[in-house]
Amino acid sequence: MSGAPTRRALLGAAAALALAAPAYAQRGRSDVEILEELLALEARLAGVYEAALRRDAIDKGLGELLLEQEREHIRGLEQALRSVGDRAPRAGVAPPGLGPALRSPEAFAGFALELEAQAVAAYTSASAEITRPGLRRPLGSIMACESAHEVALRASAGLPLLAGAARGE
Amino acid sequence: MAARVTRRAALGGGAALFLASCGGGDPPPSGGAEPGSGAGLLGSLLALERAVIAAYSASASVLRADSLRLSREIRAQEEEHVRRLERAIRDLGGEPPAGRAAAEYERQFPHLRTQADALRFLEDLEERQLRGYLEALAELPDLELRTMAAEIGADEGEQLAVVRVLAGGPASPHPFETGAL
Repeated sequence: MSGAPTRRALLGAAAALALAAPAYAQRGRSDVEILEELLALEARLAGVYEAALRRDAIDKGLGELLLEQEREHIRGLEQALRSVGDRAPRAGVAPPGLGPALRSPEAFAGFALELEAQAVAAYTSASAEITRPGLRRPLGSIMACESAHEVALRASAGLPLLAGAARGE
Repeated sequence: MAARVTRRAALGGGAALFLASCGGGDPPPSGGAEPGSGAGLLGSLLALERAVIAAYSASASVLRADSLRLSREIRAQEEEHVRRLERAIRDLGGEPPAGRAAAEYERQFPHLRTQADALRFLEDLEERQLRGYLEALAELPDLELRTMAAEIGADEGEQLAVVRVLAGGPASPHPFETGAL
């Protein structure tokens, strides 16, 4: 990936996604609803990395690694969903702002970072909220992986590796 | 064939031995926390956080440039975690146990000769710390406490990835950190 993303590109991508960000901290969802929401989010992430690889908007090795790991998460969530209920998962839809984000690696880095941050937030809520204790640790292990994806994207884009202050403070 | 112990395995073993001793000598939170409230588990996580802070401090003598700068940033995050855990224990009616002196922690560390040694040791500690928070997620009885454990766990996942990158490895080698679905 060439050069660090410009502040303008990062802000533009983040703003587009922030407008569409769902509220992940809703309480009172059923376990099936929690898993379905995570599955839709993972499908969106996988679709975004597929599109970026097709358009050369991400380093090939990194894009393939992240895509494969999101697909592993999808397989795991589908398995968990089958164990707790049999509702059909919702179809993933492309997040708004993907088109402009694919125009350059710089724009895509900002876009993907925002989407990964949403994933970390979603798993943080889900791993605490889900009522089945046996699913909390596995969801937490995906949460930690999405945190690592943020670091991988920052490293590739030449951004500071650590975002800043601790979460929840 | 005689088994050959690699330096990495030795450092990992050092981390395991060190961490096994962390909780053992530290008293549980005292005061009026109810049994089963989670205060004891938070006390164990607190002991581990303090030990990891001591490890970052001890590593500073062999870390250089970006590794040194980022290790200081990570240590500052760990100190925020300590404050958060202490508050949570007090909110449960307990009194957080006092930490040990830095020298007491350092006596149990493996000898860190190089930056690579330190980063391997820190990577192992971060991985074990992350595992602790993920295990706490399954055991803590209260939603707010689990949310705190998840938030700190997300930080630990990020820190682990940063240490891996500093050590020259991939940030995210596994789709499921420390476990599988």
